[in-house]
Amino acid sequence: MGDVLGPLVIGFFFGWALQKAGLGKYHKIVNVFRFTDLTVLKFMMTALAVAMVGVFALNTAGLVALPTVPATYVLGNLVGGLIFGVGMAGAGF
Amino acid sequence: MIALLKQKEWSPYLAGVLLGIVYIVSIAVAGVIPGASGAFENFGGLIAQAVAPALANNTYFKFVMPPGISWEVILLVGVFFGAFVSSKISGDFKLAAVPDEQWRKMFGQSVWKRWVIAFVGGVIIEFGAGIAGGCTSGLAVGGGLFLAPAAFIFMAGMFASGIPTAILMYWRKF
Repeated sequence: MGDVLGPLVIGFFFGWALQKAGLGKYHKIVNVFRFTDLTVLKFMMTALAVAMVGVFALNTAGLVALPTVPATYVLGNLVGGLIFGVGMAGAGF
Repeated sequence: MIALLKQKEWSPYLAGVLLGIVYIVSIAVAGVIPGASGAFENFGGLIAQAVAPALANNTYFKFVMPPGISWEVILLVGVFFGAFVSSKISGDFKLAAVPDEQWRKMFGQSVWKRWVIAFVGGVIIEFGAGIAGGCTSGLAVGGGLFLAPAAFIFMAGMFASGIPTAILMYWRKF
């Protein structure tokens, strides 16, 4: 049960945060590529900074092990990103 | 507190702090970096296995993204409910075929136009995320917080193609 409840609860607040940031809306996503609304970046970079401080503080305290960090393979990351951006700016997801 | 729950939108910084805490809890409790795109790959693989098993019989589905109701798939169910409850409480929830005012102003009321672009865009996004090894959540934020080069290469690519796409779609109104 814990196997299901864990991701369900984490996902709940994940979805909550995204909805409250307004990222369910087409214009919020596409406007970051038009530089008229930088909500996406403000939201993502705040989350990144908070998580970075929290995870490494807990890790330094010996409470949390670091997970497997996403693999870097320059061509794949870059080409994937280039394809991803077309869909993101086009559809606004 | 109640007033905050009823707000349709939070400051992106406040929502960002909440998302950051979600990442910390997920990594600390489950040992997993939360991501959205993986779920579609796991679930898509499951459909492929049922409908056309030959399609699921390759290195990608065998080793990289095994089909199944994975942690990420359940996470996505939670995401749906979280966003639903959040929008319901604040009164931001509504069902619409062409939902966005800015879209309607630029591209009109046509339902099929929006749905075709939404579908094709969704396919492109998932395809790109599959190649890159994650999306904006699992790779850009989830990798960026460990200063993984992958995250920043991905974001650079995302903007390098997203900006011209927006220019093409908006042209004079960019």
